[in-house]
Amino acid sequence: MSIRYSFGGDEFLFAEVSESMSLTACFTSMAITGLLRQQQWPGIVEICPANASFQLRFDPDILPAAQLLQLVQELEQAVQDSPQTLDTRLVEIPVWYDDPWTLEVGARFRERHQDPQSTDLQYAARCNGFDSVDAFIAAHSGAPWFVSMVGFVAGLPFMYQMVERDRQLQVPKYLSPRTATPRQTIGHGGCFACIYSVAGAGGYQMFGITPAPIYDPQQSLPYLADSMVLFRPGDIVRFKPIDQQQYQAAVQAVAEGSFQLDIFPVRFSLPDFLANPQAYNLSLPGGHHAH
Amino acid sequence: MSKPLAEADHNTPFKDKHMTEHLILAPLPGTFYRRPAPDAAPYVEEGNLVAADTVIACIEVMKQFNEMTAEHGGRLLAFLLADGDAVDIGQPVARVVT
Amino acid sequence: MHIKVIKPGLATSVQDAGRNGHYHLGIPPSGALDQYSFRAANLLLGNPETTAVLECTLLGPQLQFGVDCRIAVCGADMLPLINGQPQATHQVLSIAAGDMLDFRPATAGVRAYLAVSGGIDVPEVLGSRSTYTLGTLGGYQGRCLQAGDMLMLGRSTAEAPAGRSLPPALRRPLPRQATVRVLPGLYDHRLTAQSAERFYQETWTVASESDRIGYRLKGGSPLQFRPREAPFGAGADPSNIVDAGYPVGSIQIPAGKEPIILLRDAVSGGGYAMLGTVISADLDVVGQLPPNQRLAFSAVDMAEALQARQQGQAALERLRAALQG
Repeated sequence: MSIRYSFGGDEFLFAEVSESMSLTACFTSMAITGLLRQQQWPGIVEICPANASFQLRFDPDILPAAQLLQLVQELEQAVQDSPQTLDTRLVEIPVWYDDPWTLEVGARFRERHQDPQSTDLQYAARCNGFDSVDAFIAAHSGAPWFVSMVGFVAGLPFMYQMVERDRQLQVPKYLSPRTATPRQTIGHGGCFACIYSVAGAGGYQMFGITPAPIYDPQQSLPYLADSMVLFRPGDIVRFKPIDQQQYQAAVQAVAEGSFQLDIFPVRFSLPDFLANPQAYNLSLPGGHHAH
Repeated sequence: MSKPLAEADHNTPFKDKHMTEHLILAPLPGTFYRRPAPDAAPYVEEGNLVAADTVIACIEVMKQFNEMTAEHGGRLLAFLLADGDAVDIGQPVARVVT
Repeated sequence: MHIKVIKPGLATSVQDAGRNGHYHLGIPPSGALDQYSFRAANLLLGNPETTAVLECTLLGPQLQFGVDCRIAVCGADMLPLINGQPQATHQVLSIAAGDMLDFRPATAGVRAYLAVSGGIDVPEVLGSRSTYTLGTLGGYQGRCLQAGDMLMLGRSTAEAPAGRSLPPALRRPLPRQATVRVLPGLYDHRLTAQSAERFYQETWTVASESDRIGYRLKGGSPLQFRPREAPFGAGADPSNIVDAGYPVGSIQIPAGKEPIILLRDAVSGGGYAMLGTVISADLDVVGQLPPNQRLAFSAVDMAEALQARQQGQAALERLRAALQG
């Protein structure tokens, strides 16, 4: 499998690792962009890994396009033999599933939805063959998610669930995008989960809400002190269902500036994961608490 | 789209040498709307009396809706654009007689 | 040492050269959409070239100055008025404490850059004072100006005499009909050959909802995609791709219908195929196209893109030579 390269004007190099989504494609994108970040080539302005692709912004006056392409193709060869491990972290994100805010917004935009008679969660459960919303939530929160891209808007993580392809949760996006989505909504489109980092337009199905800010230019919480953006590509996320009482306590803690997230260092091994995803997920921090 | 003024004048019963006719010009380019929302009634019907500060239409540009006023007290004779038409800056959108 | 905002105008924001290095976190470059005119306004005034300015959009703000200073307005034709008296664009103007500045609506172009001696003093965020409104980041409280805002000014080092003006040959042309050059690529192989070709033959119209994030285009034929089996994770619509990064200037085609050119406040990625990218030399031009204006695209190769880039840099050098000499 070789990467397809295409220039985006005179300042961007776009690289499609694979047309279809897989953790393997994402890992290749991260490996190459990770090396580029380490090597600090003059003339490379932006290094943006994505789900199954990546893009670089460069200054052709410093690093000519052909030279950049050659450099990246050499890295493409180099990463084929490199160990597929990643030093990363696991972040536990509390989620109030089926919360009143996303339900209210969902109800307002029903005419843009495939199934105006159902809630987004009911629709998603049915699309994926679950007989109840609870069973769907159990699957959503039962296996961790890999942050395969950060973007669209500032700090928004795209996440791919760490399960076999035939267990992936897939739900179409809204027929046409909503003009409103509450901040910190847990969304889902295609095979990707996301967390809306800011309020605004959006087309993903809405499953719940987290009290945890994940983007804050004011950096008022301790875990955002180093960066206004919480997530990095390669982070692993586990959704932890919480109830109304826990949600309200967390919101209070956020307001007081004392809210904390559970974050654990992890060395992720792609081959070990692919060999036995369920066993591997159980070995991750907090794995034995999940379903 | 807008009719030439001379042609439109033939049809107006309000033409009178004591009256002054004003063309209301668009201050912005964008999309011209005669109603505040798709399912709402028009701000003003043709032939109605208006005050200088009566909102007669709005222009959508960059996802913002900018209301236009009649600018002159009098009778709004006619709109020169239909709901949803493209409008350019300085384009006449309505005729008002005072 | 302040300016009070009496009326905010349509969309007035603090902008400068923009910020790099955070696009992988979804934070776009932002910055003045017409970088040439923004730099011209600063250089004319004697400010450092990338001092923060106000980007005024179609309808300018009304501002009351609390301090004597000098200003210059470059870019779109939005005639400045001081205490109601018409002034010239592209000229250094003196303004006194207590004076009121406002603007006639833009008669050509979209964005005028109001440079003030000393610059607009807002905190630098991630290396820039530019406003990124989607992320409520940078600029004045991360948003466009509102009535009642108080803008602080930086310490002035500007020495340019009042009355100095920018020679017409050094002003950004604001043509009524634009042709924008595009390097085809990215996902253009997904289009039928006929559709890919027709995109460059048709005339498009700027939609009224176009803004700093992107310019939506209407009036052309819908684009046709080659048949395919949807790749896993891409989505069922033929225009869908597995969500990927969007180059600034890339042209995406949601559902094949109305192409969108992403500008400097771009969404950094998403799930729609892109058919190519506006070359860097022409990105400034797009931000000066008003709603309903016609434009056409011409396909160029990388050599032509680089040549245009050099011509753009040469124009900027002429500007510096004329104003810094």
